[in-house]
Amino acid sequence: MQGIAALQPYVIAVFLAWAALLKLLDRRMRSQAGQTALAQLVGQARAIPALRVVAVLELAVAAVLLVPPSLVWEGAAAVVLTAGFLGYLTYSARKAPTSSCGCLGAHSRPVEWRSFARAGLLLALSLTALVGGLAGAPVGAGPVAVSPLLVLLGLAEGLAVVALSPELDRHWLTPLRRAIVRRRDPLAARVSELVPLEVSLRVLYRSPAFCSASSHLSSDVLDTWDEDGLRFISYAARGRTAVFSLPLPGDDPSAVRVALVA
Amino acid sequence: MVQAPPDELPIDLNAAVRGEVSWFCCGTAWGPCGTQGRGACGTCNSGSMQHAWPNTSDACWAITRPDRCGFNLSRRTCGYRHKTTNLCSGQSITTSIADCGPQTDLWCGERSCCGSTCGTDRIIDLTAAAYSAIASLSTGLRPCEITAG
Amino acid sequence: MTSRRQMLKSALLGGGASVVAATAMGSLGPEAAFAAAPDQAVKPGDPDPNFAEGRIRSIKDNVLMVLGSNLVFHQIRVVDGTSLWKLGPVGFDSAKPGDGLYARGVRMPDGVLAAESVWLNIVNIKGHIRNITTDRIHLDHNGKDVVANVVAGTSVAVHSDAPATSDLSTLSVGQHVQILGAWRPDTNEVDIATVFSPH
Repeated sequence: MQGIAALQPYVIAVFLAWAALLKLLDRRMRSQAGQTALAQLVGQARAIPALRVVAVLELAVAAVLLVPPSLVWEGAAAVVLTAGFLGYLTYSARKAPTSSCGCLGAHSRPVEWRSFARAGLLLALSLTALVGGLAGAPVGAGPVAVSPLLVLLGLAEGLAVVALSPELDRHWLTPLRRAIVRRRDPLAARVSELVPLEVSLRVLYRSPAFCSASSHLSSDVLDTWDEDGLRFISYAARGRTAVFSLPLPGDDPSAVRVALVA
Repeated sequence: MVQAPPDELPIDLNAAVRGEVSWFCCGTAWGPCGTQGRGACGTCNSGSMQHAWPNTSDACWAITRPDRCGFNLSRRTCGYRHKTTNLCSGQSITTSIADCGPQTDLWCGERSCCGSTCGTDRIIDLTAAAYSAIASLSTGLRPCEITAG
Repeated sequence: MTSRRQMLKSALLGGGASVVAATAMGSLGPEAAFAAAPDQAVKPGDPDPNFAEGRIRSIKDNVLMVLGSNLVFHQIRVVDGTSLWKLGPVGFDSAKPGDGLYARGVRMPDGVLAAESVWLNIVNIKGHIRNITTDRIHLDHNGKDVVANVVAGTSVAVHSDAPATSDLSTLSVGQHVQILGAWRPDTNEVDIATVFSPH
């Protein structure tokens, strides 16, 4: 138990340092600061300075968690900071539901359940560290017996934080999904004799016949039917009817014919 | 600090510009449009003669980045008028800026043609009302020419 | 084969007295395009009275009673020459209460909109593909999840200026697309008419 409690400051510190550095160094994040919920909270003009203040706070807490001497109040500081995250996320979800969090990188997705779960996890880790500190385990970088189990736990916690971070999806989830899609090919074309109407319409739009008739048309497609190897498509044309024909199948815009019929 | 547009001369400064036009919805509306809001200018409405322009402010330009497609467009602010001509039919519509868009740099090199007349790159988005005045909504995307309105 | 279709087909292929203009060469004449247009009646920025947007509340005879999103009520009259779109051309009986719509036509003196075109549940949404499952594209549309359903025999993909294809398998997770389709009312799902891909 003492080992587990002692492990938490490292996991939390790594996450805080990472988040802080992104806020300070990532230009994309700064350029999108105005669209985050933070900007709604402090005002557009103060969004970037506010981001920097949060980053400095995160770095400060990360530093004290890593650097000895270890004191119980360091765990408390982590608890306060992570509880603050949860409060900010709640504000964000209620007052600025379409804005992004601005927590760990630039992305446009609003706050979702994963952001809350991540903040909740960090709060739980902070509480574990604090409780461990109160029980006598060193909080911050004190001597810790490194066992394989502790390393695995630390890795698992780190992976959980990554999995709960929508900002990081493009680094692992998107490539994973891409690979699965490549393997499964869920949109594989099924052989069909039916030529979708849209295919014919796109040929029509590229045809000289459609271009010249376009200014006469007063409606979208009125009717369409296939007969004798041709597809017919009709439109209203200010009291008259414009009817087009094109060969089926076929992709030659110059084969499209048109007539304006009274 | 939000990046500012480069100093290259905007291609729309003294001449008509060819590109692509699409349509979008804004304002209180049904369907997936319901959460779009009133646009960057706070006045956007699907039923009004309005459009979105890629360079209404530094923050807008930072999102749309037409320079990544190799050109720059003039800074025009809310209310400025542009005339959009459908290169297929010759029909045109004059609308005023009500929003920031389209996201030009996500569509670099895309071409839309009518006959042999083509437009490359997305340079304007019209509201549903404005687009339907010059093309059917079901076409989705058309080659166009833009001039100052 | 209706008599109307028969007449149109004969006119197109065989000519006849009812044909106003036609061509076997592919054009009605280049001067037909780019004809001088009358001055625009609606001031830029203003609502267009000849356009309506809203959801169908009820249908009476050939009139759609539509409540606009700005709480304006529209009566939209549909006649023989009015086109209706619901993932493709459809008949009047496809319009149902609860459908969203856009309509363009001519506003009559009595306030009724004589519709030339009605588009039911049409959406044109842009976003990133978050995932692709069997016949479904999961789209991130401005932070909201939209599920776009592939409809066999209808959905096509357009890659830049290449011909449209019913093969959507070249679309990839992470790329940006535009989906023109029909919203399924009161859900976050749409049926795909066309997927536009930049490359």
